[in-house]
Amino acid sequence: MEETLRKAGEMTLDLVRKHGLEGEVFLLHDRELSIELSGGQIETLKEAEQMGMGLRVFNSGRMGFAYSSDLSAQALEQVFSDAVSISAYTAADKFNCFPEGGLTYPVLQTYNKSIAAAALQDKIDMAMEVERAARSFDGRVKLVERAGYEDSDFSTLVINSRGLYAFGRGSYCGLNISLAASEGNETQNGFAFTIKKEIDSLEPRAVGEEAAMKAVRSLHGRTIPSAPMPCVMEPYVVTRFMSMLASSVEADAVQKGKSMLAGKVGQQIASRHITLIDDATHSDGIASFPFDGEGVPSQRNVIIENGELQGFLYDTYTGLKAGLKSSGNGIRGSFRSLPGVGPTNFILSPGTVSPASLVADIENGLYITDVMGMHTANPISGDFSVGAAGIMIEQGQMTYPVRGITVAGNLLNLLQDIEAVGSDLRFYGGKAAPTIRLQSISIGGH
Amino acid sequence: MLDKYILADILDKALEKGGDFAEIYIEEKYVSNVFCEDDKIEKINSGREKGAGIRVIRDGKTNYVYTNDLTREGLMQAARTANHTTGIQVKAAARNINLTLKEAKTSLNFMRLPEQVDFAEKIEQVMAADQVARDMDAEIRQVTIAVGDMHKKVQIANSAGDLVEDEMARVRLVVNTIASRAGQIQTGYEVAGGVSGWELLNQVSLTEMARQAAGRAIAMLSARPAPVGRMSVVMHSDAGGTMIHEACGHGLEADLVQKGLSVYQDKMGKQVSVEEVSVIDDATLTGKYGSYRWDDEGSPGKRTVLIDKGFLRGFLYDRLTASKDGVESFGNGRRESYQEKPIPRMSNTFIAPGQDDPAEIIGDTCNGLLVKKMGGGQVNTTNGDFVFDVQEAYIIENGEVKYPVRGATLIGNGPQALMDIDRVGKDLGFGIGVCGKDGQGVAVGDAQPTIRIKELTVGGTFSGKGPEIRRISRK
Repeated sequence: MEETLRKAGEMTLDLVRKHGLEGEVFLLHDRELSIELSGGQIETLKEAEQMGMGLRVFNSGRMGFAYSSDLSAQALEQVFSDAVSISAYTAADKFNCFPEGGLTYPVLQTYNKSIAAAALQDKIDMAMEVERAARSFDGRVKLVERAGYEDSDFSTLVINSRGLYAFGRGSYCGLNISLAASEGNETQNGFAFTIKKEIDSLEPRAVGEEAAMKAVRSLHGRTIPSAPMPCVMEPYVVTRFMSMLASSVEADAVQKGKSMLAGKVGQQIASRHITLIDDATHSDGIASFPFDGEGVPSQRNVIIENGELQGFLYDTYTGLKAGLKSSGNGIRGSFRSLPGVGPTNFILSPGTVSPASLVADIENGLYITDVMGMHTANPISGDFSVGAAGIMIEQGQMTYPVRGITVAGNLLNLLQDIEAVGSDLRFYGGKAAPTIRLQSISIGGH
Repeated sequence: MLDKYILADILDKALEKGGDFAEIYIEEKYVSNVFCEDDKIEKINSGREKGAGIRVIRDGKTNYVYTNDLTREGLMQAARTANHTTGIQVKAAARNINLTLKEAKTSLNFMRLPEQVDFAEKIEQVMAADQVARDMDAEIRQVTIAVGDMHKKVQIANSAGDLVEDEMARVRLVVNTIASRAGQIQTGYEVAGGVSGWELLNQVSLTEMARQAAGRAIAMLSARPAPVGRMSVVMHSDAGGTMIHEACGHGLEADLVQKGLSVYQDKMGKQVSVEEVSVIDDATLTGKYGSYRWDDEGSPGKRTVLIDKGFLRGFLYDRLTASKDGVESFGNGRRESYQEKPIPRMSNTFIAPGQDDPAEIIGDTCNGLLVKKMGGGQVNTTNGDFVFDVQEAYIIENGEVKYPVRGATLIGNGPQALMDIDRVGKDLGFGIGVCGKDGQGVAVGDAQPTIRIKELTVGGTFSGKGPEIRRISRK
């Protein structure tokens, strides 16, 4: 595959050089399989293959971008002419620059043969096992909306006119389910998903049971009186808050004045228990890859260390603008989009205490299992007020389900209020977090 | 576009190991986007895409394959993959599919196709609008303007012998403004679009949109916080039909109904709204954002009465869900691109205009909230619960519009709201959106007259009740 992509890329870069411009091609080839079940039967079996190229040119500091899913010579000429004509109109920017070549890339195990080698029927069976496990976990699981398996095998090539050449191949596979449990006239939903790099690491039973457990434990929840109280957050809920934090550590947000962390490097912005890392080289991370969307080598970036803000995430443009280097965070969704700053494996480092012990000495508190409406939080001020659900903690015991409440506060205060971090690191896609305990959070109930 | 004999061969290949239905959807698309922020053209993108999706349906199960390789060999390979089956394989007799080109009821009339309009002209429009918004007031701190367009050609052929060739162009204009005063921040947003070439700009003024968006952001700076509680809500026709699309339309999509995920599943023929209300989905309206001549599986776009004077008369069907219910497709099978299978979707969905004078509806309202502009929303189709953000709203006191309020959310239940509508205006206002479902975004239009809902909960940030099985987002 590298050869097909390389030919198309080199041909386009030749045109770029011939016209005395700077250019970068990003090429992707990707094969995907997805199996969706509904009611225990295959509803859709999808097999996809796509290929394409995105071309960025810098024309006296002005950027042009165009893409094509057609890699024929004629189509490549068209992409080149599209990108060049665009570059006549965009604003010039002295920080528009491509990374230089001659870089050394980390050696990572990102591709695994086991996925492609497994039989289709085995993959279907795994998805069915997810659904069966969910139904047999509890009779109140009445409706499985969707259960499925998916995998992907992709190759990425970046070449630019400054001599950079980076090729890599990756793969992953995953299972998911969303369902509803009912009792009386009440229905609660549950979902679970997992993404792994090796097919043997998939645990269908655990995925089905987790979704069922989530739905069943929420049945017959009730609201509680408004009050501040200590709380423990499940890893999944922690990752939802981390998404909000991620948008504040991206350098473009910082440089555009859209980050609550602007100007705070070197300050203690979180409790000493907090160490936050972005690591595209992590062995368990699904976002691990030798280089980013601009061909910059991946590295481990410490963003917060023992509560102190160390720095931000950069792509080449924002790095240069800040007088620094790219941190390897020029992320690209596909060949259809420009690179932009983003997290890779975004990890809140685990502590040493067991998650159970975080609950054990709480007299009256809340174990938060879900938050809703996180997108309404204000990423500039850090203020949030979101819907939540959970389980009441009384005398160190989880007692009854709680719903119909809001949790409100400010993300920066929340970070300061973290008084303990569990040892149970859990990945949800590219985000990973352990269970955490907060000294106090404001709960809005009745 | 491919020769019909090649298409027939591919369909034959797709059915080689049996199957009830095979289809090939070929798409060739040009897209471009111009984005302005910080008073300058920050980004321009353009893309060209070519691809095909092949689908084989067998006992209600779908195999879907897509590829960018549009050579005969590439498509034959994709067809072979699509007839992958895990059941008993039978060597089926060749179908000898004879494709006949279907004739469209209306002719194409795109005047200025996106790829034929120079970027210089698009930029000139954008920068003029940027200037207008910034000149409105010093409190306008940021203006972002995005204009996007798309032109595609499609070819759809299926084993029933249908062959459809179509073309479509769409233009979308978005203005976003941020105003701030003493640490307080408010936003104003305007969006417009249609199935059209750039001649759309003869009907829609981007500078006027900029003026309105900036004006709204500034007006909302002086707004008081919205009241919280149950009250009468007058939804102005300017608010568009987001509510009817989200809170009612999705529940009428046949796939959700058939899976037991719709609140309307046992309601066919029954009264589901007050008799003043009729709800219609109409793909045939000229130039609206959700209009089409053919749906994405080659059925003609139609006008479908979903609710007729209060009674539920129709669901939104694509081919597969229609065959399950033993009816004909209603022409609502839509897909985001060749990379997705078609599913039942809305086109342009609206509450039909009624009898009342809109001004009188407000005049007859003692105390309540007037909603002029809706924001985003979320709906749970299983029980019909919805939450919407409101962008622009005013307090009505004794029949008079008094002062603007900010931060309002509307919390309610779709089926209940339809029973609580007590006034229906004779006007009709359209909105546009990109509706997301099962990870696929499609362009939709929606509309409503000025209506009054007797009582709705205003305030709060979330509903906090009921399951949230399926969230349908809107941007």
